[in-house]
Amino acid sequence: MRVVIAEDHFLLRDGLVRLLEAHGHSVIAAVETGPAVLDALIDLRPDVAILDVRLPPTFTDEGLQAALAARREIPGLPVLILSQHVEQLYARELLADGHGGIGYQLKDRVTDAEQFLDALERVAQGGTALDPTVIAKLLGRPARADPIATLTERERSVLALMAEGLSNTAIAGRLFLSEGAISKYTTAIFTKLDIRTDDDTNRRVRAVLTYLDSGPSGPR
Amino acid sequence: MWSGPSRWLRDTAVGYWRSGVLVAVAGLIPGLTAAVAVFGLSFSRSWSAHLHAPLLVRLVTAIGEWALAALWTAAGFGVAMAVLGRPTAQFLRRHGGRWLGAELPSPYRPPRPITKMSTGYWWNGHGYHETERQAKIEGWFMDRSLLAMRSADGDPQLRRDVVWQAVAAATVVPVAALPLLAGAGAIYAVTAQSMLWVALFAVASVAAAPFAWRTLSPVASRYLAPNPNATAEEQVARLNRIRADLTQTQAAELERIERNLHDGAQARMVALGMNLSSAERLVDTDPEQAKQVLREARASSKIALDQLRTLVRGINPPVLVERGLVDAIRALALDAPIEVDVRSTLERRPERPVEAALYFAAAELLTNVVKHAHATHATIELSHRRGVVSIVVSDNGTGGATATPGSGLAGIARRLAAFEGQVDADSPAGGPTRVSLTVPCELS
Repeated sequence: MRVVIAEDHFLLRDGLVRLLEAHGHSVIAAVETGPAVLDALIDLRPDVAILDVRLPPTFTDEGLQAALAARREIPGLPVLILSQHVEQLYARELLADGHGGIGYQLKDRVTDAEQFLDALERVAQGGTALDPTVIAKLLGRPARADPIATLTERERSVLALMAEGLSNTAIAGRLFLSEGAISKYTTAIFTKLDIRTDDDTNRRVRAVLTYLDSGPSGPR
Repeated sequence: MWSGPSRWLRDTAVGYWRSGVLVAVAGLIPGLTAAVAVFGLSFSRSWSAHLHAPLLVRLVTAIGEWALAALWTAAGFGVAMAVLGRPTAQFLRRHGGRWLGAELPSPYRPPRPITKMSTGYWWNGHGYHETERQAKIEGWFMDRSLLAMRSADGDPQLRRDVVWQAVAAATVVPVAALPLLAGAGAIYAVTAQSMLWVALFAVASVAAAPFAWRTLSPVASRYLAPNPNATAEEQVARLNRIRADLTQTQAAELERIERNLHDGAQARMVALGMNLSSAERLVDTDPEQAKQVLREARASSKIALDQLRTLVRGINPPVLVERGLVDAIRALALDAPIEVDVRSTLERRPERPVEAALYFAAAELLTNVVKHAHATHATIELSHRRGVVSIVVSDNGTGGATATPGSGLAGIARRLAAFEGQVDADSPAGGPTRVSLTVPCELS
């Protein structure tokens, strides 16, 4: 894959480049600042981009803003956002356009190279890879009178794993259930959430988005 | 309830009473002083009453006698002020204030604490004494004595009390005495059988009675009310308190961070280093064991990162840095286990220190709602009006939140006080609760 990296810490940037190249990916740009990354994303159109939320010059949320801006230009441009902290607020903003191809993970996750590369792969293919911490925060929210509230306990946990970006096979492995059973749950979820589309990846993204929007303070 | 003649009758009766009280209380010290002056002078003058001497000698003697009388008078005034100055002034602040419908708070400095020094001596704020009793007596006297008037640590109200007595002696006392003197004149005229004078005096007395005591009003508001400088002094005291709170909070905060790092990330890093060195040792001889140790090392680094993240959140939440107050509070609301609506009309960010203070205050309020209010829904409103940022947190819980000392609300109020901010809680038992935080602040 052709990858763009935006990370201002030299050690992390260098480590990421090495990790990716060791696994046969090519890093076509490794930049440090918000404006530079936006240019790189739009000019180079990578297969996937890895962005730090906080970048120079202002050290606020340039990375996130660059990702959103680039995806307005190139809908569905796969972006994996890395941060020292994860917020539901940012997850919503990233997923709001409904195009998928979004990853949002804690920086710690790069220490587990295999899982990290897996997540990157999923994002590049248009899936989602949300950090389990975001999912845990979502699960902590109160159930409300919305479609999410009609899901059973089991369906909710399947949806949570779907949000992490796991495939049915992987979910089956985590929950110690058969793949057939998971398939039934996902169909039930899509029906209850009224998601009708044939493309499975897109369906999964939409389900996660509905999940995120079920909170009381969703984007207005 | 009172109207027409009955009201006039009441006003007149009350006027006589108040004039009498004023003359007795405000006139007490001037009266005593005048008495000392008159008797002192006549006493000292009596020494040379039968002196037959040259003019120059008599002149010098007279000057000496007058000076002596003046000294006695000053001493008499000083003692009277020390003993009666404060009680009479306080009496008129309390009762005169009530008559005038005005609040005249006590302007005196609180008595200074008497403390035993490590030397064994007692310190009363003015000087050192061998016994506590001496220190108490001297302290009491120095708080009241005119001798302390010019000293830097004397109560500034002392000087104002002297001015009050002087002004009262010239204005309030003679005016308040009018109805009483005219009444006395009328009674005297009765004995002198002069009906015209009786009538004149009586009319003057009765006519003056409802009004005479009111000369207290302008004088009291100028000289009995607290000194404007005293409020500046209070301001200094308040700022000192805030500074003490701030430095204390800061120290506690640093201590917390240090302990957290020491027991958390730092200890983890040490363990990590040990794991790595043992892995290095094992890698040739027992690769399997080395792998196990490395796995432990990675787990350890993950935990260290988690601890650092939590710590950073408590020092300066990353969302606040990245997005500012409103989004940071939105992020808080999203993480809350109850429904929280966030509404904001803030268009720009407050100054950074105020922003952080408001964020932590709002976070604490929200935590209180979740923990104690048994609420199912909360609303957080942010607004900026006339240079004041306000955050209102309301919930549909059980209410009963109070700002008793030591409570969370009192803590929030103390921390916001550093920014001239305020906390107002409206939380009747049974709910709902509405707490508002206001801090004067410009937006950037």
